[in-house]
Order: sequence, then structure tokens, then C-alpha cells
Amino acid sequence: MSVLEYIWAGVLAVFAGPAAFHIFGFGVPITPLMTFVGFLLGIVGGATPGLAGPFLMAISLPILLSIFGFTPDALLPVLGFLVGVMKGATVGGAVPAILFNTPGTPDAMMTTLDGYPMARRGQAGKALRTAHFSSVSGDTFSDLVLFTCAPFLAIAVEAYLGFTEKAALIILSLAFIAAVVGASPMKGMIAAFFGLFVASIGTGQDIYPRLSLGSDSLSNGVPMIAAVMGVLILGEVLVALERMWRDRRERVTPEVIADSGDQKLSWKERRALAPFIALSAFIGAVIGALPGIGSTLAATLGYASGQKMHKGPVAFGRGTPEGVAATEAANSAVSGSNLIPVLSLGIPGNVGAVFIILAAESIGGFNPGPSVFRFTTDTVNPELVIAFGLFTAMMFANILNWIIGGRIMAACGIMSRIPNQVLLPIVLLLTLTAVYVQETDFTVIYFTLAFAVLGYLMRKIKMPTLPFVIAFILAGNLESGIRQAFSASGADPLFLFRSPLSVLFLALAVGVIILFSRPSKPAANKAVEAERGA
Amino acid sequence: MLNQTAEITVAIIILVFALFVAMLWVPIDSETPAFYTFRRQTNIGDAFLPLVAAVGMAVFAAIHVILSWRRVRDDGSDAPFDALSMLYLLIFFGIMAVSLGLMFWSGPLLLSQFYGSGESAPTYRQMRSSFPWKYIGFVVGGTVMVFGLITLVEGRMRWNRLLIAILSVLVLILIFDVPFDTILLPPNGDF
Repeated sequence: MSVLEYIWAGVLAVFAGPAAFHIFGFGVPITPLMTFVGFLLGIVGGATPGLAGPFLMAISLPILLSIFGFTPDALLPVLGFLVGVMKGATVGGAVPAILFNTPGTPDAMMTTLDGYPMARRGQAGKALRTAHFSSVSGDTFSDLVLFTCAPFLAIAVEAYLGFTEKAALIILSLAFIAAVVGASPMKGMIAAFFGLFVASIGTGQDIYPRLSLGSDSLSNGVPMIAAVMGVLILGEVLVALERMWRDRRERVTPEVIADSGDQKLSWKERRALAPFIALSAFIGAVIGALPGIGSTLAATLGYASGQKMHKGPVAFGRGTPEGVAATEAANSAVSGSNLIPVLSLGIPGNVGAVFIILAAESIGGFNPGPSVFRFTTDTVNPELVIAFGLFTAMMFANILNWIIGGRIMAACGIMSRIPNQVLLPIVLLLTLTAVYVQETDFTVIYFTLAFAVLGYLMRKIKMPTLPFVIAFILAGNLESGIRQAFSASGADPLFLFRSPLSVLFLALAVGVIILFSRPSKPAANKAVEAERGA
Repeated sequence: MLNQTAEITVAIIILVFALFVAMLWVPIDSETPAFYTFRRQTNIGDAFLPLVAAVGMAVFAAIHVILSWRRVRDDGSDAPFDALSMLYLLIFFGIMAVSLGLMFWSGPLLLSQFYGSGESAPTYRQMRSSFPWKYIGFVVGGTVMVFGLITLVEGRMRWNRLLIAILSVLVLILIFDVPFDTILLPPNGDF
């Protein structure tokens, strides 16, 4: 098959795939339908403070697996749904940030700086339209970067990297994530190594499951879903509940200010926003392609860059649409490009990507990594068809976002009024139920709660959780890569240092840790400084 | 960052744990060492990955102790735990223990009360897929969990919160159970 035929096969897999139901004899294809449902859920969830895209992806996954099973036909509907959630949550997060000064998702924090002052002036409608226009522009740009970069990167990796280099690349990625997430690279590295340690419990190649202490519960290893959900979701729930318990403050019902004046966003205004959107989209796409650097930093840098460029009558921070545009374009431009390391290297760069990998691994038949982009001509590479199907679903979600995203956003303001002290216990029960239905064993609930405590403790001592989770997920690949490389080198103890590329990757890993460990000077921009301390 | 004393304490605890793992747990609880030779071929054994992980934790914890000790500005936040944190965790896990206990046992207990415990009485396993037995544990335990945690945070019991807890459990049943024949709500998979 040629490249164009692969792309067309991906498009057909989405739009001519199995039908969900029939209307007047016409089948409604399941993948676009699931993408649409995921997109709707994403906007509603993103607009609800306390929920976020990764959480919605996490709890949806067991339900999706129950609906679609573990056959290759399940891949596109499930991945389409997850991608829809990811995109919907990105735009939805701006709603409470603008209307109630409460970011729905962490990356919408900077949106409050200008969005809320605009709403207080009676320009909430215009602020929401600006956020939507910028967000969807940044997202679309980012997807185009993904579509063009991921295949080339994957082909280069597959052509030039052997077992040794791939193992060194995983080490570099882990070091990078550990160094850039959180305030201390040392704590990031400890978290990453701890993730490797936990992943090694009950696994291995010998008959006796290592580190299992002879216990049946540990002999099958730690369930991945329990570790991921416990540390990422329930750890946060535990911390948030404690904060509210200490404060004992009930949420005050936010004041709603009536709109006044022109709420539309004219073409002239859109043209004026374009330079800010373009710059922020570029920043967001570059930041998103680097593993571990989240959309919050992209939003902060986008905002800071827009602030330097801005010469309008209303200053940044006082309620200017350019401020909303700079932030939203940057944080949305992360969502596509942060799938570049997942699809081309098999390395999840952020929490959302973790759940894409989990879905693919649970269903089987699609192993994100360089082997996906093998353009075989004599035989069909089904993984490549799935990859182009995923790209098609992403573009479909973007089109939905352009057409109806703004209207759904405007209708989601009510979600911001759900009090967190009511929402979080429900989130806890929902998470435990979602984990249980996948494993159908009460032990998994105990595992999840144990990892919730671990996530709680890590947050308390300000140790980043993402390096732990990503190291836990990559541990199997890293170990098998090292075993194969060692074997292929003829048991050379210095096998990792025999290839120049491998040495380069390892040197970069050390360099990144040293660079980020140096004491940083206070940033000139207050927004950047605030982000560093977060 | 935490304050200097807290950072150093945390790093030392991690260092001690990592040394324990590297020197005792991994060597004792792995079948093959980090490297072993079998039929004149040297291979990587099962102890390799956890040993690397433990040594990595120890090295970076030691570096962190040194960096924290040499820190010039001590402007970090206070110690991460205090008596209130412990009290919170105690109450939280008390509520979780009660609610999970109710979730696990209320179905079988009610069944035995209803049918008695003779030889002809059905077992919970036989009834775990039939209404209302399949929902009893989840509804009771789930409601207590949600209502208990809301009450913990708000510091008072409110009837409307109980209603919200019941409704949320019913919505979860609608999402997870009603559309599917193959899914088992907690705790039905354990019987």
C-alpha cells in the first residue's frame, strides 16, 4: 500500500467502520459517534472544577472496555472517545475560569487573569468566544504538527536506533520528565526510580515472582490501573478533601454578572487576535512535544510572550481578549503535539497520553511506538491504519469543536456551581467502581487505596507523581530493552556505552538533570514565577 | 519546596528505605541475582531492575540531602504532616473501612437473614446477578462512603447530602450495571 492508500484506509476505518445503529437504512458509524460523545463529556467535565480530562479518560476506560471488548474493532471507537474527551476538556476548562474565576482545569489558571475581569465588565460572552476561537485554532495547529512530525520521527527512530539506543532513549525520557516536572529534579528522579521499583514487584522472567514476599496478592504484580488511578486521581482527591476539611469553608455560590454590550467576536477582532494565537500555538506545540512539560507551563509561557507583544489600550491582567487568546491557544496547542512522543516513541509525555497507552495496551493490536509507522508496501500494516484512523478522529473532533464547541461551552456554566465537597466523594466512589469492574476483585480496591495514600504522601512532600507513573508504565519496556541489548552485545558490561547515540542520550540525561538542578533566578514575569512555584 | 529540615528528613527516610531494598529485600526475594551465568552464558537476572531502582533512589536521595543541607534560602513551606493530618487520615480511613465492610458483607448478611442458612438456602454467589441482591452491598456501602465523606468535610449531617449520596450511587448503577450483563458491581465479583 502507498502512503495515500494508508491515509485513505484510516479515513475509511473511521467513517465506513462498523455502524452503531441505522437511521432510515443508513448506518451511523461508531467511531465518529464515540468521538462526539467523548467531546461532549470532555467539555462538560472540563467545565466542572474538580474534574479534568485525564480523570474523565480514566473512569471512562473500564466502561468502554466493557462495551467494546478486547478486539481490534474496539480500538478506534475507544481511542476516538478518549481523544474527544481530551479535546473537549481543553476548551471546557475555560468556562468556569471566565465566568467564576475558578479554573476548570489547571491549565486554565492563566485564563482567569483576563477572562474573569472581562466577565465582570459584562463581556463574558465575548471572552468565551475568544477562548473558544483561540483554543480550537491552537488545537488544530497542534494536530497538524502531530500528523507531520510523528511519522518522520518514528521512521528515524526505527531506522537508526537498536535495542541499546532505545533503552538509552527511555532513560533520557524518564530523566527529562523527572527533571522538568515539579520544583526539584532530585525528587523527580527518586519518584521515577520508585516507579521502576514498584513495577518490578511480582514481575520478571523467573518462576518465582520477584519481591512478592511469598504473598499471593503481590505475585501477579501491581495492577496498573490501581497504581495509575490511585496515585494520579485518588491521591489528589485525598489532598483536596483534607484541604477542605481543614478550611471547613463551603463554597460560596458564585455571583453571575449579566452580559452587556456586543458579545460577538467580529472578523476584525479575530484578525487582531491572530498574531497572539499564532505565537502561543507555536509555543504550545513545541512545549507539548517534549515529554513531561504540561499545558500549564505552555499557557504560562504563551501568556508571558503575549504580554510582551501586547500594545492595546487594556493591559494584560485587566481583562483584555488578547490575554485570553494567548493563554487558551497555548494550552490547547499542547494536546495534539503531546501525542508525538507516544505515537513515535511509545513514551507517554503527560497524564492524558498515559490513558491512551493504557487503552491501547488493554485492547491489544496497537502498540504505540516506532513500529506503528512502518509503511509496508507488500502487506498491510494494520497499526498504521489505526494511527491514521486516530488522526482522522482527531480532525473530526476539531471540526466538531469549530462548529458546535462554542455553543456547548456557553451552556456549561452551570457545572461550575457543583460544590467540590460533594463532587469529590462521588469521584472517589466512581473511581473505585471503575477500577473494580475491570478487575472484579476486592483486592484491587485495597491496592488503589494504598496507591492513593502514596499519591497523597508524594503531594505532601512535594514530590511529582507523573515521573512515578510514567516510569511504572515504561518499566517493562526498559527492562526487556536492556536484557535484549545486553544479550545482543555478548554480555558486555559496558553495552550501554558502546554506541555513540546511546552515549549521547545518556549524556543528555545527565545534562538535563544537572541543568535543572541549578538554583534558578527569580523570573522577571510574575506569571512564570508563580508557575515555577506551583 | 519544603523547609530545609523537612527536606533533609524526607530524603534520609528515602535513603534508608532504598538501602534496605538494595541490601536486603532484593537479594533475599529474587530467584536470580542481577547477573548470573548459566551454561557459560551471562544473563541479566530478575534482581537487576529492582536493584538499579533502589540504587538510583539511594543515590538521588543522598544528593538531595547534600543539596538541601547546602541550601542558602530556607523559605520553603512547613513540615508536610502534623497532628491534624493524622487525624484526617484516621477519620477518612475509618469511613472507608466501615463503608467497604458494609459494601462487602451487607448483601450476604441480608440474604442469610432472608432465606436462613439451611441446605436449601441459596448462596450469595447464586444470587449475585439477581435483583435486588446484586445492588444491596453497593448501595449501602456506596451511600455510607459518599455521605460519610461529605459529612466529614462539611462538619455536619444534612438530609439533602444523604439524598445526593443515594442518587449518585443510583446513577453509578445506571452507568455501570444496567446497560451490561457482563459487568459485576462491587463486591459481586468476589463471590
